[in-house]
Amino acid sequence: MTHSDRNGAARPIGRRGVLRTGGALAATGLGGLALSGCTGTGTDGGTGRAGDPKKGEITVWSWQGPATELKALLPDFNRVYPDIRVTVQDIGNPAIWDKITTGLAAGGQGLADVLHIGVDYLPGYVERFPGGLADLGPLGATRHKDAFAAGLWQTVCPDGKRVNALPWEANSAGFYYRVDLFEKAGVDAGALQTWDETIEAGKRLKARTGVHLLGIDKPASQPDAANFFQMLLQLQGAFYFDLEGRVTLDSPEAVRAMTLIKTMNDAGLVSDLAGGWNALMSSLKKGTNAVVPWPTWFGGIVEEQVPAEAGKWKVRLPPAVRRGGPTAATVNSTHLAVAGSSRHQAAAWSFVEFALTRPASQVRIYRGKGIAPALMKAYDDAVFHEPSAFFSGQKKGEIFLAALKAPSPAVNYTSDYARALKLVTDAQSRVLLKGADPATVLREAASELVRQTGRKAAR
Amino acid sequence: MSLATPLPAAARPRRRGRAAPYLFVLPALLLFSVFKLYPIGWSFVISLHRTVAGTETFVGFDNYRRLLDDPLLWTALRNTTIVLAVQVPLMLALATALAVALNSTLLRGRAVFRLGFFLPMVTGLVAYGIVFSVLLNKDYGLVNWLLGLVGVDPVPWLTDGLWARISLGLALTWHYTGYNAVILLARLQTVPAELYDAAAVDGAGALAAFRHVTLPGLRPALLLTTVLSTIGTLQLFDEPTVLTGGGPDNATLTIGVYLYRNAFAYADFGYASALAYALTLLIGLLGLVQFRLLGDKS
Repeated sequence: MTHSDRNGAARPIGRRGVLRTGGALAATGLGGLALSGCTGTGTDGGTGRAGDPKKGEITVWSWQGPATELKALLPDFNRVYPDIRVTVQDIGNPAIWDKITTGLAAGGQGLADVLHIGVDYLPGYVERFPGGLADLGPLGATRHKDAFAAGLWQTVCPDGKRVNALPWEANSAGFYYRVDLFEKAGVDAGALQTWDETIEAGKRLKARTGVHLLGIDKPASQPDAANFFQMLLQLQGAFYFDLEGRVTLDSPEAVRAMTLIKTMNDAGLVSDLAGGWNALMSSLKKGTNAVVPWPTWFGGIVEEQVPAEAGKWKVRLPPAVRRGGPTAATVNSTHLAVAGSSRHQAAAWSFVEFALTRPASQVRIYRGKGIAPALMKAYDDAVFHEPSAFFSGQKKGEIFLAALKAPSPAVNYTSDYARALKLVTDAQSRVLLKGADPATVLREAASELVRQTGRKAAR
Repeated sequence: MSLATPLPAAARPRRRGRAAPYLFVLPALLLFSVFKLYPIGWSFVISLHRTVAGTETFVGFDNYRRLLDDPLLWTALRNTTIVLAVQVPLMLALATALAVALNSTLLRGRAVFRLGFFLPMVTGLVAYGIVFSVLLNKDYGLVNWLLGLVGVDPVPWLTDGLWARISLGLALTWHYTGYNAVILLARLQTVPAELYDAAAVDGAGALAAFRHVTLPGLRPALLLTTVLSTIGTLQLFDEPTVLTGGGPDNATLTIGVYLYRNAFAYADFGYASALAYALTLLIGLLGLVQFRLLGDKS
């Protein structure tokens, strides 16, 4: 079969080459992805042409906070690998996704050696551009198989053979809130069991303090406008697609999630974060919202943006959608991948391995920006078990560690996630700005997604 | 060849002279072939393919058939038509008025005004888009703050479908009016002053002179600016991308934005290429119609 070809990922693969290889794989009748691999161990070829693992010049693409942390890690890295010169570039998020797509479409031209990729985009890149990301198995990734939080190995190695990336961040759904504001409203936010209760609390909060419960980017000026909706879905074990890749955008769970959002909005509890990130940051500084329902990594941002509010903030896992339902959900993970076109794959792998599998590296990154590791061993460090002065003496690290250890249903992002997300954000805008009916807009979005992708509808 | 026979001595230099123009255009031709002709041709080939699991499969005109029942394409076309029907005529009327004013001998410091109105054109598309999006932010923007001072409620400039279209129109008008005015002004200066004198002798007032002398004189420049604005509108990309991302709920989606999204967000290059060809066809047709309607009648 094409094993030697796949291992030859080290050789720069031209665009036509990618297409041809993909064609050969698909022609075997089992589909590209399932077959696109070689075993993680014991194959020859690939590593031989991957360059020197201790020498080379590599570029890393990441964004904002994580990019800063990778840069800060370089002195440590160069003490171990003095002959690998690393340049970390902050491409920005979401700009990085389009940039990687373009690079992969051009057969790897202009792509960095190491790519920071979110779980939402990884399946799309792997499926649409076979060979675009190097198989990390032959480079030695398989030995770290059990080092990461549950479910993440399946994300990076869906077929159990080809390793497309290595997990970095594991972010659980979170619920950051202003204790002082809730106290003023006479609500114990820590005791809220469900989102229905939270909405009632939000009404009291609004009446007594004038503050909104939370904020959403209503016109969806950025794709992450649907983060909250997506979290409400995941808390019910649902998503845009089921595990077979069928469209489930109009599932009862999705309608329930969108209805919750509409209820909040109609009650005047949702402030508008139009403008995306900047609006979110200014609302944080202005104290527009009492709750920021964002995942693990956002804790570091809160601390950084409003340091003077230490002791006024607390964090918990989000309330359940249905009473007694789950409150833990791994809402996203990010990964480092090596470009299939890289001529320094071995050196790039050395960097990835150093950053992601060495507890000391992850502890350092967590200390810097509060970016939570997928590497379970890192959690042995005291930093995850210290009370946080900012979060009113809570052990923030342990709260999220518990979420990470809780069962979290598998999520199938598929290669059409970007399309689904766009339709969801449009549907949400219609609900929030025009008062549209959640079930109707989601049904329309689902049938449009079916039309665009040729996927089956689950119902 | 037959020319060369009676004058053999002169033939050689002349033949060399014949090759020279081709040699001179050769670099441009080469660059054009590599950077324009090849992508144009190749994108047509891509438009006949669909990427399935990383493989490009030949699907004939499937992508073009998909275009016809794509509701988002029609949304994009509708948005573009609105800009064409409302913003372009308003902007050109404004530009004409501006050109006449700038041409007036009554105006002092004309150079300063000309420069002032042309300057927006010099600013980068993305840069001015970002400035507008900051100014027009509903909660933190300067415009709403100023409106607030006189007691006006915050306007959802970018977050409401209708207002987003208005904001887009405002941004476009700010950016391109001066540019069009300069083109019109250049033409205006070639209209002989005698025509105005003759019109005045015939008893024409300022308005009549404008209708019967200025406007006919401007016709070729008006055609040019109309065609350029039409093409620009159909290809509209930077402004909606930066201002609204095509939103809210696709209210400012243009073909350019939709094309980009299909190619670089969804990696559906086949469909994006088909969109590009449909767009080219549309621009060609509209250009033709405009030339017929506004072109020289001679």
